[in-house]
Amino acid sequence: MQDSPSATSGPKAHSQSTFNLQRQASTAGGASSGASPLKTSQNPAPIHLKPKTTNVRRMRRIISEDAEWTLAIVPLLTELCIQHIVKNFQNNPILKQLLPEHQKKVLSHLPHDLPLTVTANLIDDENYWHRCCIKRWPVCHVAKHGGSWKRMFFERHLENLLKLFIPGTTDPSVILDLLPLCRNYVRRIRVDQFLPPVRLPIPPQAEEQSDSGSEGEGNEPEKDHCQLESLVAGLKHLEELDLVYGVKDCGMNFEWNLFLFTFRDCHSLAATIKACHTLKVFRLTRSKVDDDKARILIRSLLDHPALEELDLSHNLIGDRGARAAAKLLSHSRLRVLNLANNQVRAPGAQSLAHALAHNTNLVSLNLHLNCIEDEGGQAIAHALETNKCLTRLHLGGNELSEPTATLLSQVLPINTTLISLNLTCNHIGLDGGKQLLEGMSDNKTILEFDLRLSDVSQESEYLIGQVLHANREATRQRTLSPGYFMAPITNNSTENSVG
Amino acid sequence: MNPSGNIGVMEQNGDDHLATPIHGPSVHSDNPQERIQARRLRIAARQEARKREALGEYLDGKKENEEEQSRSYKQKEESRLKLTKLLLCGTELVTNIQVATDIREIHRRVEEEEVKRQRLEKLENEVKTSQDKFDEITAKWEEGRQKRIPQELWEMLNTQQVHCAGLIEDKNKLISELQQELKIKDDQYVKDLKKQSDDISLLLERMEEQVKNVMKNFRQELIHIEKAFELERQELLSSNKKKWERALQAHNAKELEYLITRMKKVEDYEKQLNKQRAWDCEEYNTIKIKLERDVQILEQQLQQMKATYQLNQEKLEYNFQVLKKRDEESTVIKSQQKRKLNRHFTIIDAEKFREIWLMNEEEAKALAQRAFDVDCVIHVQHLGLPWKMPDFWFLRNVGPISLQQRKSAAQILEELLLQTEDGTEEAVSEDESYLDLPKQVSAKTTRRILMLLCDESGFLIESKLLSLLLPLEKSECYLLRLDAIFSALGIESEDDLYKLVNFFLRYRSHRLSSAKSTSIYTERTSLMSALERMSLLSQADRRSQVSKSEVESIVEQETLQGGDYESLVDKELREKEDLSSPRLIHPNDVLKILEAFVMGLKKPKEIRPVVRVKKDVRDNSRDSEYWESLAMVIPVSKQSLWDALYKALEKYYLVLTQRAKLLMENDSLEQQNAEMQSLLQQYLQAKVNAELQIPPTQGFRMPTK
Repeated sequence: MQDSPSATSGPKAHSQSTFNLQRQASTAGGASSGASPLKTSQNPAPIHLKPKTTNVRRMRRIISEDAEWTLAIVPLLTELCIQHIVKNFQNNPILKQLLPEHQKKVLSHLPHDLPLTVTANLIDDENYWHRCCIKRWPVCHVAKHGGSWKRMFFERHLENLLKLFIPGTTDPSVILDLLPLCRNYVRRIRVDQFLPPVRLPIPPQAEEQSDSGSEGEGNEPEKDHCQLESLVAGLKHLEELDLVYGVKDCGMNFEWNLFLFTFRDCHSLAATIKACHTLKVFRLTRSKVDDDKARILIRSLLDHPALEELDLSHNLIGDRGARAAAKLLSHSRLRVLNLANNQVRAPGAQSLAHALAHNTNLVSLNLHLNCIEDEGGQAIAHALETNKCLTRLHLGGNELSEPTATLLSQVLPINTTLISLNLTCNHIGLDGGKQLLEGMSDNKTILEFDLRLSDVSQESEYLIGQVLHANREATRQRTLSPGYFMAPITNNSTENSVG
Repeated sequence: MNPSGNIGVMEQNGDDHLATPIHGPSVHSDNPQERIQARRLRIAARQEARKREALGEYLDGKKENEEEQSRSYKQKEESRLKLTKLLLCGTELVTNIQVATDIREIHRRVEEEEVKRQRLEKLENEVKTSQDKFDEITAKWEEGRQKRIPQELWEMLNTQQVHCAGLIEDKNKLISELQQELKIKDDQYVKDLKKQSDDISLLLERMEEQVKNVMKNFRQELIHIEKAFELERQELLSSNKKKWERALQAHNAKELEYLITRMKKVEDYEKQLNKQRAWDCEEYNTIKIKLERDVQILEQQLQQMKATYQLNQEKLEYNFQVLKKRDEESTVIKSQQKRKLNRHFTIIDAEKFREIWLMNEEEAKALAQRAFDVDCVIHVQHLGLPWKMPDFWFLRNVGPISLQQRKSAAQILEELLLQTEDGTEEAVSEDESYLDLPKQVSAKTTRRILMLLCDESGFLIESKLLSLLLPLEKSECYLLRLDAIFSALGIESEDDLYKLVNFFLRYRSHRLSSAKSTSIYTERTSLMSALERMSLLSQADRRSQVSKSEVESIVEQETLQGGDYESLVDKELREKEDLSSPRLIHPNDVLKILEAFVMGLKKPKEIRPVVRVKKDVRDNSRDSEYWESLAMVIPVSKQSLWDALYKALEKYYLVLTQRAKLLMENDSLEQQNAEMQSLLQQYLQAKVNAELQIPPTQGFRMPTK
């Protein structure tokens, strides 16, 4: 209204235009800094109702930052209604009854800090949850949460709560109240710290105890962590459980007590995962799981209907635990087994190899940083002769030497499923390297073969690299040409290699 | 990219020895890339060869094209290989850190194990030595107890103290050593933390570097590929341009050639044209002169023709006038003749029919008379009953059974007009003379109405006819005019005529009744309704007419039916007649009435043709009855009587014939008997009898006569 005559009058317009530039800059700055949908919804039609704002914006013909700007003096009734709905959404959430276009408008104006009890089961709009996530966390990888912002919001919200849960201090209803809201959306729980219970009179004692770390066991019942049983039972779509019983960022306040995975924890966790029939991935890493605890956990996982991946890396599992895992291999549909950085030795590896020989499910086996030595390595190499399923094998840092390499070089031409083999940080030796090269030259399937820091001569390593390259080219040709469909396998392999 | 790749892979083993490329990458090379390249080239070459074979032609251009295509392909392949290598190396570089930490961890573990073992050994040794020492000390205590001399005891205690202190010192030393180790471990822990953070930062750095590097390389390769494509495109473009230019040049040259030839031709043609023009001019002039002369001659001829035409026209006009006159006469004669002819034919037909009828009737009556005679004989002679001549109506009838003939409108008109013309005094006996007319309508009124109609609706008559009628007599004139009017209105029969007259009368009465409220509109509507009623009536009439045609006249029939409405109408009309005279119908209203009448008449017209046909044909339904009744003069009862009589008589005859036969037999037997008696007499009287010993006469008695 007021803006229209500015262009017509000659000298006046000129003087105004200089002013105009200044105004533009200031409004632009203001708009960009404070322009949030929330703000515009709070004071509806700011241009026309307040005389001051009209003065401020007089010179602007088109305000590009403000999508709501119109020439209409009186806002439409629908606009007013929508604004009212937005304002009172917390008390009276009206959404499903609206037309789709109005729903969209309401959703775009809703504040992100509405209580979850209102929004959780009412709003499915991804944009809204996107805003909530962006507001709350600076870095968001929605792809890691199945591409759904809502799922991401609830998963991370739950994770945060669990991370900061202190048994005995925090009210368990904090988590259990959330359960009816998030049960339909949470598919994964990934918690990388469980805080131990706080003992109030302890500070002086703690310093004394720090002298001898072995004393902790007497107080064990008091150091149980958060119990997940009721939570997991409530989540009906839970597929992945990724837990670390430990404390992050303790720095120089390190105490052994902070990293205790107690027997009671173990028992309750075992019962939890046994009851959860939808669970596909179970990870329990860096939690000082020893043989006994591993056996308790694995026993509960026997004949689990859905489990596909088990990750117990960075623990203290020995031969007995490995034997239990071998039993699990033949009593489940496990596809991925990770026992990296444990204390598995030759007997454990032998039992694993025995299970592996006739297994038809396992795709990936990781025994990185164990100590299976030549006996275990030979057993596994023998198992590869008959196995027709395993595609990835990691035997890095296992004190392997020439005998294993010899056996492997005999197996490699026979086996046609293995795609990736890792033998880093072993003592293969020069002769072992040559033998492996010999074996590789007759293999057409292996695409990755890592022999770094294995005392192998550079020449043989380079030549093996050439063979690998040839294999890769061949598979590429096959995947490109119609009729062969090897693509899914190679894709999986690349994904796994990243992890 | 290369769909026949699998074919090549499959074939490669078999064809390795057959096709050995002379130059370029070799299949037997150690370098797998080279081998792949070689195989690809071979496959391409083979495909090319196949294509050529199929086409059967070897074009150089194609070869070039092939080479050019392979350039971008080569570039792409190169880039891809380079990039995969880069990725591989990069990930290796990044994972190297992990591997390094792994090996460090392994070394640490090994060392740790060693240290642990040493420590344990050391501790065990220490325990052993300290135990020894302790044992020594405890042994000495026993020794000390036996000592009685305080000095000795003191000395011993001193040494014991020294030993204990040594032991404790040893232990303390060990403890401090262990504590030292612990401290070192703590330091180690801090160092490890630092190292880890360093490692992680290094890892991050490398990852970032790798990402940057990869991004850069990808960009570069993209640029390379683009360049290759660009180059290829340029080449293609330039070659095409060259081709285009060459073609253009050729085109230009040809164009020029054509232009020159065209110019030459144009010149030629111009010369020819000039020549032609001069020649044409001359010719034109000569022809013009000639034609002008021709025109003059023709104009003269035209004048002559015009004169003759004038003459002919006058002649023809005269002829036309004559013919017209004749035509008029002939139309008049024709109409007269037509009427005469019509009547003549019907009379003749009727005569013939009557003759035939009479003939047949005579014959039939003769037969009937014969039958009656026979019956009389039977009754009087055989039955002995008195016989009376039966009296049937049809026996008395002579001649064809005639219904009252329905007259056409024209006939009635004629009659009407002629009659009234004779004298007005005759109108007294109108009721008797016009049985056909409805009683309520007097002939006089009818006549007047018709006259009025005739005067007012002259427009319905053809002008030609009007002019022809002028010289005629007044009555005849009226007749003809009315004839024409009726034909125009569609009035053909007696009924229609009466309807018309009735309609007029009704209108008049209506007008009188609604004289005060003289609204034409109401008139119209009431007229229409009246008309409708009329048509209803007429329809009813007609129906009854068709069904009961044996009744002689309509009037009779109507009276027989005792039509309530008829009497009602009668009454009405009577009243009106009292009130009115036809003069009350204003001539101006005649047209309106006519219009309404025609509108009303249209509806029933559809049924009319059927009815008319029936009217023309003589009604013969009673004929068959007549003839049948003639055939049945002897009733069935009498016939059965005859039959019975016949049968009885037959039986009687049979008995009589048998009797006659028997009488005949009797006669013959009597005769025989007489003959036999005479013969016997003869024999008895013969001489032979006497000569016999025993006369036969003795044996039997003489039959006495």
